[in-house]
Amino acid sequence: MYRLSRLKYIFPLGLFISLFLDGSLSSVWAKFFFSYPYSMMSELVLLWLVFSYYFEEDIEIPLIPFAALAGIVFDVYFTGILGLDIFLFPLIVELTKILSRYFDQSFLTVIMIFFIDIVVFVTLTYWAYLLVGITHMNVGDYLVYTLAPTLAVNLVYFVILYWPIQSIYTWALKQKNPKRD
Amino acid sequence: MRKFFSNRRLVILVLILIACFGLMAGSVSMRNRRNTPPLIQQFGNDIVGFVDSVVAIPVNAVQGGFSSVGQLMDTYSENRELKQQVTELAQTKVRDQTLAKENKELKQELKLNKSLTDYNTITASVMMRTPSSWQKQLVINKGQSNGIKKNMPVMSGSGLIGRISEVNKTNSKVELLSNTSESANRFAITIDGSNGQTVNGLITDYNASTGELIVGQVSSKAKLKKGTKVMTSGMGGVIPRGLYVGRVTRIGKDDYGLAQKVYIKPAANMNDVNIVTVAEPA
Repeated sequence: MYRLSRLKYIFPLGLFISLFLDGSLSSVWAKFFFSYPYSMMSELVLLWLVFSYYFEEDIEIPLIPFAALAGIVFDVYFTGILGLDIFLFPLIVELTKILSRYFDQSFLTVIMIFFIDIVVFVTLTYWAYLLVGITHMNVGDYLVYTLAPTLAVNLVYFVILYWPIQSIYTWALKQKNPKRD
Repeated sequence: MRKFFSNRRLVILVLILIACFGLMAGSVSMRNRRNTPPLIQQFGNDIVGFVDSVVAIPVNAVQGGFSSVGQLMDTYSENRELKQQVTELAQTKVRDQTLAKENKELKQELKLNKSLTDYNTITASVMMRTPSSWQKQLVINKGQSNGIKKNMPVMSGSGLIGRISEVNKTNSKVELLSNTSESANRFAITIDGSNGQTVNGLITDYNASTGELIVGQVSSKAKLKKGTKVMTSGMGGVIPRGLYVGRVTRIGKDDYGLAQKVYIKPAANMNDVNIVTVAEPA
């Protein structure tokens, strides 16, 4: 019952804070994120979506519509190129759902699934930009200078934020239970 | 096992792919042709920009706090140097005012109302940077309602950093000089040669590994010295004359050995931008 839980407020709030933090952090830490030749793409939104899927327990958050909404905002405001992330964010949620069927939930499996999500997301973005002609980067450079640093920074996010976000969700879910009893 | 790609799924997948690439191609070409994006896109941008400031302002404030602590460390030595410069600056400022006044009077004598060096500035702060490896793009908090138009040049602190690529009502996007797309860094520039001749040219490329801008196809035989200042030339309309771009680092031949190639080190650091100035031709 998503509508009755505290997550009704916490999930959208966290989604949009993480979305805008991606942009703000990229600007504030530009020296670190975009020091030549490496460029790291901060993907806190994907992290929030994956965590929400794992920590929601029996509450079913409508992740796909929210992911699409975040995608629209990302397209319009962040990149100015419409039509990519609006489909990619929901795709990543769907991918997480499919992959999670095959593994039990633990820190290591979640980090592995998040790793796969980032690889798929960044690769599809690169491929689409290559087709549309926004970038002319070759595959080798992409793998070494974009994908690898991006994975590194996002896995660091993951390790730092796993327990804090888990405790936020436990807190949000605990509030609901006494009322039900 | 159930067939993964049933007919219905396949059709939906193809439709999504078509919509995705249609929208992308459409918005890329729209962006190059139109002066402002469609109204609905502008509207979305304005609303999101407003929400973004709720997150961006605290983050910028925190960063400002950290960097001011860092700056406190070398305040003493900096202060000594700056004090010396201030005395010189006062003189230069007075001289500058006198010259500007004289210049205005002379222009009146000549019945010359506007020249390429006249411009007004609009100051804006940076809200965020696109978290992408392929788009070097900033969003700033001034837009159409503050007089910003597409293709206006954007400067930060010491020099040129890019141009306006998309204008909404209350915010706009800036493409940095380091962007790899074709239109980002085409600025008409001028360099003073050592024997009184000037070299005019167009920035054609950016070398990411050395961080240098490249002026291709310079056919002039004027001798250029390393360290010469490079300014915009004001040719081509939107960009005023005399915006500082950077300094010449080296001069090479192009691939066929016919024309010169001039390498310029940009004056501004494009990875450390908080406040920008947009120049608007008067």
